[in-house]
Amino acid sequence: MDDGSATTTPPGHRFIEHTGELELRFEATDFASLLEESAHALAGILAEDADGAPTRAPERIELAAPDRESLLVGWLNELVYRGEVNKCVYGKVHVDRASDRHLKATVCGREPSSPRTAVKAATWHRLRVKETPAGFEATVVFDV
Amino acid sequence: MGIVGFERTDDVIHEASKNLRPGMGVPARILADDVLLDQIARDRSVEQLLNVATLPGVVGHVVGMPDMHEGYGFPVGGVAATALPDGIISPGGIGFDINCGVRLLASPLTRRDLPDVEPILHELMRSVPAGYGRSGRLELQDRELDRILEGGAPEIVHALHLGLPEDLEHIEGGGCLGGASAQAVSERAKQRGRDQLGTLGGGNHFLEIQRVQAIFDPDAARAFGLSLDQITVLIHTGSRGLGHQVCTEYVERMHAGLARHGITLPDRQLACAPCSSPEGRDYLAAMGAAANFAFANREVLTHRVRQAFAALTRDGRLDLVYDVAHNVAKIERHRGREVCVHRKGATRAFGPGSTELPAAYRAFGQPVLIPGSMGTASFVLAGCGASELSFASACHGAGRAMSRTASKRMVHGGELRKELAARGIVVRCPSNAELAEEAPTAYKDVERVVDVIERAGVARKVARLIPLGVLKG
Repeated sequence: MDDGSATTTPPGHRFIEHTGELELRFEATDFASLLEESAHALAGILAEDADGAPTRAPERIELAAPDRESLLVGWLNELVYRGEVNKCVYGKVHVDRASDRHLKATVCGREPSSPRTAVKAATWHRLRVKETPAGFEATVVFDV
Repeated sequence: MGIVGFERTDDVIHEASKNLRPGMGVPARILADDVLLDQIARDRSVEQLLNVATLPGVVGHVVGMPDMHEGYGFPVGGVAATALPDGIISPGGIGFDINCGVRLLASPLTRRDLPDVEPILHELMRSVPAGYGRSGRLELQDRELDRILEGGAPEIVHALHLGLPEDLEHIEGGGCLGGASAQAVSERAKQRGRDQLGTLGGGNHFLEIQRVQAIFDPDAARAFGLSLDQITVLIHTGSRGLGHQVCTEYVERMHAGLARHGITLPDRQLACAPCSSPEGRDYLAAMGAAANFAFANREVLTHRVRQAFAALTRDGRLDLVYDVAHNVAKIERHRGREVCVHRKGATRAFGPGSTELPAAYRAFGQPVLIPGSMGTASFVLAGCGASELSFASACHGAGRAMSRTASKRMVHGGELRKELAARGIVVRCPSNAELAEEAPTAYKDVERVVDVIERAGVARKVARLIPLGVLKG
């Protein structure tokens, strides 16, 4: 069930109908861009002004996981965790390296002036990462 | 319209055999009337309920409440029991917000004593942090936090001297789950929750000032301390970031052990482990700790509300009617055996005579608190102890009927705010978009949901409460 919002040119994301939570579909030309797009989408859920200038020093993140899906949900939950502890949203992210099981990224946080929806976690429900002719597509349900 | 594979077996009870889908270990049961059944059929909640019926060690039947809707892993409004010692425990069957729950406070004031709730709501906005990234006033040291994780609400009352000793008897389980261990909670989870004690959080969490509009059972209402036109306060929140992190980490840990336990799943969010396994035991200890943090959180919030009422009204007394969890797993006895009851968006509803109830309530059954959607009524019910029917579990609210995105398309937050104000309901919510997400039209009809619970014999109506002022998380 698509919510009907316009399809974007990759990278991009859109909301899918979900009665209880927030389900998003991400598209990107490569896996690293997909991870970046998912982070931008998360930041946009958390705060209206997520795109504003960072107010915190850059942070390095390195993660390993058994597969792409686990890496994606681990990445998003790392950002949820850091955002809540540091009282910020990570609107500016750069994935320096990404393979199916490993990523290195640099993220810059911003203390938001217009917080929006609190996100409890990225879930494993309906979690999917697949390769498409245009690159990569992923679906994630956030508990909000 | 029914749901394929389900047959009506009683007035509001619908059942599907365990042969409906390969892998189901038990039948599925849904409590609903025709209208609610139609709403339930519109999303993936039934598919999720059937997935739960495939979990190892599940016994009896899985139950969908009349407020059931699509969640992640378990449906919201889902109940499942697993046999001890080797039946599974699934963190996704409790949810990220461990011990999300509801607490009702009763004031001696009536509506006539409190014609304007604006000043109190304004004060509560100052003293109760709500929304994303807001800290509480309490910054806990490591040892203090560990004691709260293992001691729950009693630790708040006895060590921090917030709240009242008489509150404790009126909290499910005395406000402290046994077997909780601070050691089972990671440093990251503790870091996430350290400054969040006494905060409301976001999403559908709220603090509401209400009036008792109707009494259905005068004897039970009297025992619960409720009377017509009385002012009440309902608090809806949970274990905040601490609980969210506990769930995140244990789902991941349980994924790693699935093959070792020979478990295959239809949905990765249903990751689980036998209750008797090391990860199962650790999760139960961590879940108990997070649940205790939630009881403590609601106790601190109660203290803040009492401070506001004491400062701004002629009588600041607020008696705790009851505090119930609606996202938790409990070890209980049902049908002659010990089971682990997962309640995901479902409320325990023990019946008259239960020794777990305060003496004053024992003749009537456990208070079951059912918050409505914003702007609609909430209900107090008394549990009937329907162990055979639902493992003595009731609904937890109205239940969403529409996604947040759809609600925002259909409802303008600013107009909703005005509409509620015209009905005498003051709403404090910083964002019109978030207000629109929680619009009453996005939810099922709570009156209908509660009627089904009563018709099914799960709990009976005691009182209806209507909102006067809402502080939205």
